[in-house]
Amino acid sequence: MTDQLAALTTIFTEFYYWITVVLMFLIHVGFCMYEVGASRYKHHQHTLMKNTMLIPLVTVTWFLFGWWIYWAFPTGPGLAPSIMNESAALITDESTFSAKWYQPNTEYMAVNLGDHISGVFWAAFLLFSWTAASIVSGAVIERITTFAFGILAIAIGSVFWTIDAAWGWHFDGWMLKLLGYHDAYASGVIHAIAGGFALGVLIVLGPRIGKFSSSGEPRNIGPRNPWLVTIGLFLIYTGFWGFYAACNIPIFDLGPEYGMEGVTYWTATNIYVTPTTLSGITMNFLMSLSGGLLAGYLISNNDPFWTYSSGLAGIICASAGNDLYHPIQAMIIAMIGVVIAYKLHYFVERKFKIDDAVGAVAVHGYAGVAGLIICGFVLNGYPSSGYSVGSMWVGTDYAPINPLGMFIGAIIMFVVLGLIPGYVIAKVLHGVGKLRIPREVEIAGLDYDLMEAARDDEKAVSSSTR
Amino acid sequence: MATVTNWIDHLSAKEVQGAIYPGVGSEGILVIIALVLWIGWHVLQNNAESNHLEKLARKRHGANDHKSNITEW
Repeated sequence: MTDQLAALTTIFTEFYYWITVVLMFLIHVGFCMYEVGASRYKHHQHTLMKNTMLIPLVTVTWFLFGWWIYWAFPTGPGLAPSIMNESAALITDESTFSAKWYQPNTEYMAVNLGDHISGVFWAAFLLFSWTAASIVSGAVIERITTFAFGILAIAIGSVFWTIDAAWGWHFDGWMLKLLGYHDAYASGVIHAIAGGFALGVLIVLGPRIGKFSSSGEPRNIGPRNPWLVTIGLFLIYTGFWGFYAACNIPIFDLGPEYGMEGVTYWTATNIYVTPTTLSGITMNFLMSLSGGLLAGYLISNNDPFWTYSSGLAGIICASAGNDLYHPIQAMIIAMIGVVIAYKLHYFVERKFKIDDAVGAVAVHGYAGVAGLIICGFVLNGYPSSGYSVGSMWVGTDYAPINPLGMFIGAIIMFVVLGLIPGYVIAKVLHGVGKLRIPREVEIAGLDYDLMEAARDDEKAVSSSTR
Repeated sequence: MATVTNWIDHLSAKEVQGAIYPGVGSEGILVIIALVLWIGWHVLQNNAESNHLEKLARKRHGANDHKSNITEW
């Protein structure tokens, strides 16, 4: 870089994303603490390791193919032409944002003096991938094998969520053009899909032993360490702030970007390159958190576990439109999302005997779906992109945001890319006998031998002091 | 192996080469190594976990056995 202003803009952007990545790391710390706090003592260490090992597995596969998928698939392929090359094929040509530059064997996927942004942007998206996999992790604790979870984590973290991001979370995505899909802070592209995927896995995996009585009544297996759950959820809130910032482009001149002759307009934008402010979304983040907490406290009758989870569900529900909502709208939407998620959780548990150990399907899946549908009504008529405005089903320009498009988008996220792949992969793993741990081990505890060894060690140390 | 041996020469070139890691041009081989390490890890992990679970399942434990194993309550 030889121009100082350009250098400042570039290095500011690089540093901005770097900070968001560090903040988002707290999401994973929070998920680890939360899961361990929610699991029973006899499964603690296994639960922790299962969630921890998704970090390297998703990272390596994200490097090898996940990032490439995001840049290759915005057109479907075959559903809507790219605005870069006007082709509906996979984007692998020489255009600026082609997947060609993000293959693992290119020189841009490394230290490169000519590219200060790709690496931190790659990392920000990778942290979203960890989150998607970690959401699934909580639902399946205490009975899934680490091998099976590793495969499922890669599937959701490096394949299915990145396909949905290409489709609905990319400035060139076909869902924006055909449906008018809008999901600024990922109600659908992270949360609804991960919740749907978790539900698909849970259908095959089955409940923990003892969760349901012989008459089918659910029993409560509450958090064993509420303090760890509390700190975990506070850390997830904190990391979620970083996530919000990471979904923005911090500084961008929209004049030349939109082709407006002689116009210069510097602003922050959302992921779709339409204007918003970091200031405004911070208000919305806090108001939706507050709405979620207020509703969760009342509906769960002061239950701390559900109150904290509801804070998260509130943010998730408002996230689709939090780039544009008024803060009070964000709060009300959060409250609605929490009521829907809470009620649906217990309905599905009783009716279909689904044992979602941490309420992940409800907090992420149901709240995410509700958020997308509500966004379709509240932001009805807003443009889904700044590049052009057209109408639904055409595909050569961008449809405006609308209720039907958002409803279809929610189905694509929760069912098509979430529930169905989760169910099918879990079925295959079950078919080869790799999905669930043996019954004897589940009853005794996955940490049985570790604890036995710890007791023997303790005895040996004690005897040496006599 | 070194891509850069003199920063002054490197940065004053007419076109500065962006990639500065050792072994520029060997990325394909590195990707193959990464693939082998990734798949190999799953194979080793699966074998270890299967043996471990099988061994653990053979023990005849009760539902509350773990409590007597906890050393610090």
